[in-house]
Amino acid sequence: MMQENIKTLEYDVLVVGGGIAGGESALNLANLGYKVLLVEKELSIGGKMILLSKVFPTLDCAACITTPKVSEIARHPNITVFTGAEPLKISKKGEHKFDALVLQKPRYVDVDACTGCQLCEEACPVSVSDEYQYGLVGRKAAYIPFSIASPRAAAIDIESCILCGACEKVCPPNCIDFTQTEIKYLVKIKSVITATGFKLFDPLKIPRYGYEKYKNVITSMQMERELAPTRPFNTVLRPGDGKMPDNIAYVLCTGSRDKSVGNPICSQICCMYSIKQAQLLMGALPMADVTIYYLHIRAFGKGFNEFYGQAQDMGVEFMKGKVGKITEKENGNLILRYEDIEAGVVKEAEHDMVVLSVGILPNLGMEEVFDNERLKLDPFNFIDQADILASPAKTSIEGVFVSGTASGPMDIPDSILSGGAASAEATSYLRKENTI
Amino acid sequence: MEVEKGKTAKYLKEKRPVSEQAKEELKKFNKKKRALLTALKDGEKTVPQLAKVLELETNEVMYQLMSLLKYGFVETGEIDDMDEYFTYKIKSNG
Repeated sequence: MMQENIKTLEYDVLVVGGGIAGGESALNLANLGYKVLLVEKELSIGGKMILLSKVFPTLDCAACITTPKVSEIARHPNITVFTGAEPLKISKKGEHKFDALVLQKPRYVDVDACTGCQLCEEACPVSVSDEYQYGLVGRKAAYIPFSIASPRAAAIDIESCILCGACEKVCPPNCIDFTQTEIKYLVKIKSVITATGFKLFDPLKIPRYGYEKYKNVITSMQMERELAPTRPFNTVLRPGDGKMPDNIAYVLCTGSRDKSVGNPICSQICCMYSIKQAQLLMGALPMADVTIYYLHIRAFGKGFNEFYGQAQDMGVEFMKGKVGKITEKENGNLILRYEDIEAGVVKEAEHDMVVLSVGILPNLGMEEVFDNERLKLDPFNFIDQADILASPAKTSIEGVFVSGTASGPMDIPDSILSGGAASAEATSYLRKENTI
Repeated sequence: MEVEKGKTAKYLKEKRPVSEQAKEELKKFNKKKRALLTALKDGEKTVPQLAKVLELETNEVMYQLMSLLKYGFVETGEIDDMDEYFTYKIKSNG
């Protein structure tokens, strides 16, 4: 048993989740003078956006937008960031009165002392799959999560570590500390924002697409990494054998709008990120053909339809068809069996790489954290918006607000808007305390 | 208990044994790393060429080789005439 070690802290607002939505909420509240504790379960804030290549429909570099925001959050005097931390329990004690029990997991590195020099990485003999590169390449057990991580500090993956001590021998500021243990905090707050984001659909649930079995079938997030400046390979390559692909297929609605996998709703972002990736691929591999197999192209946002048109003009092929099955040839190429919906016939086509445009699923767990009030979920297990039209950030618990994709699939501009709405509604809730 | 800075791994080792799986993974990685670097000493090679020499699956070679590229042991060479496969070679300064 870990020794109980509970410290008490006080803040105005607890923001759970340090992605782009939670970050936006935290920044707005902090700029208004509220003291915010931002709790992030990963080792870096920035969420999924910080790992993207570029964003639609402007093709702005994702890191160039995220990193200044993330450093503003990290440096803000009114924001305290806990990474590698999560709330275990939140109890409502009354209006404007919540108690949260927050667990800080040991990183085995003194973050404030770490200079991010990476000498520990170099010294570490261990190599395991890099989760921030979605398994395309390895990483060390002593590692900086990724180059633009915030905090840009090392961490020790204790499960993979062989405790050889090589990292601490080379660490100039002596910041590696294997004596660290879990710390629990009792945090007293007045309001909570849940910005717990989403998870991606696991394509192993559709075995007929051959993910993992066929090494040149990858997910859209893996392609996102291949296209990012901090990519795992020297350029866009097939993970199966290092060949530069020249005929890439996208399978839209992988795990979305599909009752058979338990997710009947549209994920709202896959059409657009696939169109974006297709355009980026045309730039990275000028000789490549890109075909997008789709059911309907949903280009509903500002500038989206024009962005779709731009991809068509660039030569991206759009095939209205549902892919039924993927099989592999000996040379690693893939045969897609699909229904050509317009012609009404089943056809086959060969590609040398397939990208599964995986959908968005709810990140469950927050509903378990609230112990004396019920955080209601919607029929698809996203956090229910109690008053979706008038106050979209309100949840079933007064004083608890939802920010970003925790409430349902949405793109980056909408997540930031939602983050803004959550901070505005939290502010008006906090102001009420003083007027009662 | 006061533990000397820079020597804390020993302290945790006494409290928490290293998993057998972690030790096994390290052995596997070292074996593949040695094999790949030895094969590249004879000259730069593509992923399929390395797989053939080492009798490994191409995807396994790709994963390990790209890890060695990231760790600074290997660098990228030229692409072949068909614009399909890059060669990889031992990094000149490492």
